Amino acid sequence: MSDAFRTLRMPMSREDARSLRAGDMVLLEGEIVITAGLPTIQRLVACAEEGRDPPIALAGGSLFHLGSYSQEMPAGGLEILYMNPTTSTRFNPLMPRLIRHFGLTAVGGKGGLDTACAAAMREVGCVYLSFLGGGAPLHSAAIRAVREVAYPDLVAHYRLVRLAVEGLGPVTVGIDAHGNSLFETLQAQARDRMEGILATLAASRQDAKGG
Amino acid sequence: MPITYQAVKSLSAQLYDWSLRAVPADTLDGLARALATETHDGARKVLQMMLGSARKAEAEQRYVCSDAGVPVYHVTIGTAARLEGDIKAAISDGFDELVATISPPLLKHVTNPLTNERGYKGRDMPLVTWDVAGGADWVEILCQPKALGSGRWAALETFSFPSLAEIEAYVMKVVMQAGSQHCPPVIIGVGIGGSFDVAARIASKATMRAIGTTNPEPVLAAMEERLLRAVNATGFGPMGTGGDTTALAVHVDYASGHGYTPVAVCFNCWINRRTRARLHADGSVERFE
Ligand code: SF4
Repeated sequence: MSDAFRTLRMPMSREDARSLRAGDMVLLEGEIVITAGLPTIQRLVACAEEGRDPPIALAGGSLFHLGSYSQEMPAGGLEILYMNPTTSTRFNPLMPRLIRHFGLTAVGGKGGLDTACAAAMREVGCVYLSFLGGGAPLHSAAIRAVREVAYPDLVAHYRLVRLAVEGLGPVTVGIDAHGNSLFETLQAQARDRMEGILATLAASRQDAKGG
Repeated sequence: MPITYQAVKSLSAQLYDWSLRAVPADTLDGLARALATETHDGARKVLQMMLGSARKAEAEQRYVCSDAGVPVYHVTIGTAARLEGDIKAAISDGFDELVATISPPLLKHVTNPLTNERGYKGRDMPLVTWDVAGGADWVEILCQPKALGSGRWAALETFSFPSLAEIEAYVMKVVMQAGSQHCPPVIIGVGIGGSFDVAARIASKATMRAIGTTNPEPVLAAMEERLLRAVNATGFGPMGTGGDTTALAVHVDYASGHGYTPVAVCFNCWINRRTRARLHADGSVERFE
């Protein structure tokens, strides 16, 4: 089943990012950085503002809105017990800054990002990837190793985590590096359809009355 | 035999645990039906992944989602049930026990709304509603952990003497606000009338009705059917990346009121977490979902 999908090496190259189109489905392999925390994203913005290096290198990398439960293993090292995306839109105001400053090539989570983010992504050459919500069993099975965990003072899903993954996905390209966003297209399409939808509702109310 | 503190406590813990590791049968059927009619390729793939994720969770006893939600219980006590011990404390003690023992551990989702600090405990947590069933000798508990992703999009507006057209347009407005973000295909609950709190309660209860069941009131059944078609005509699709399946069901109910008519709309994400069981007077546990 997975053979049908193109596999992309992570962190994604700028070239790969630009080669993708909204609606494409791909698998991911390599290293990704994840967090589900607003405080975490705020700390990363502070790093950008103050010209400090973040605790996990992000330049030219990927940053996904994925939450995970990480814990120390008895024998040392770390393990991730499960992982799943969170709603990206709550990070809307902060993402353009991060995308530009770190020159990210891939961001993602679920539910999409707004126009300002899409504009930053287009400028930089970055895509938004939509992960399956409620996909913890599938996403967790794609984790090969936990490389680093930063911000241990935060609750588990807020920590910044660098992971090695294999066969993660397929994920859907929700926003491509050319300014196309499925989320915006679909909102606009639904808005355009609404007049017709409401007319159909009215007609079926009439039918129900008549019948 | 009385229904005891201990029985309620362990059932509260178990229901939560069960709810995290499987998708209810009615929902799996709904997803399978959607897959059979979905015309959009990407959407079909997403629906297949949903079914795959649900199957893997159940087979390997993993969590379907890492957002385990916050504990929400709906308790119905039969008026002929004999109770022993502090049943109210049993529910929160059951949740505490679950947090202490469940593997893998739960993430901290219980949030103080004034500070946004997160933990496992908080004021009024678990969120519990109480109801009575005339003559019954059992206690029924329904557990429906509520997640941020779908809980976030619920809305309520109060109208005065609204027409059905206005009510249905409002439902569509709330659907548009949620757009791609609540892990569709969703189950939509609509509560009309009563009072502010009653409308919200009705909407929430409507999400608990099994998918595929027909509303016994013909007027509501017709309304549910046309609203479901309307929601799916928006095209947001599974995970909001396009397709014919934005909702698996729309469930509507109402209460009479005073011409000022609150309309509440709430959502459950596709995993539609819920479990339900009854404690009987003979000590047996009857599990429904
Ligand atoms: S809304 Fe999505 S991410 Fe949240 S619990 Fe539901 S399936 Fe999981």
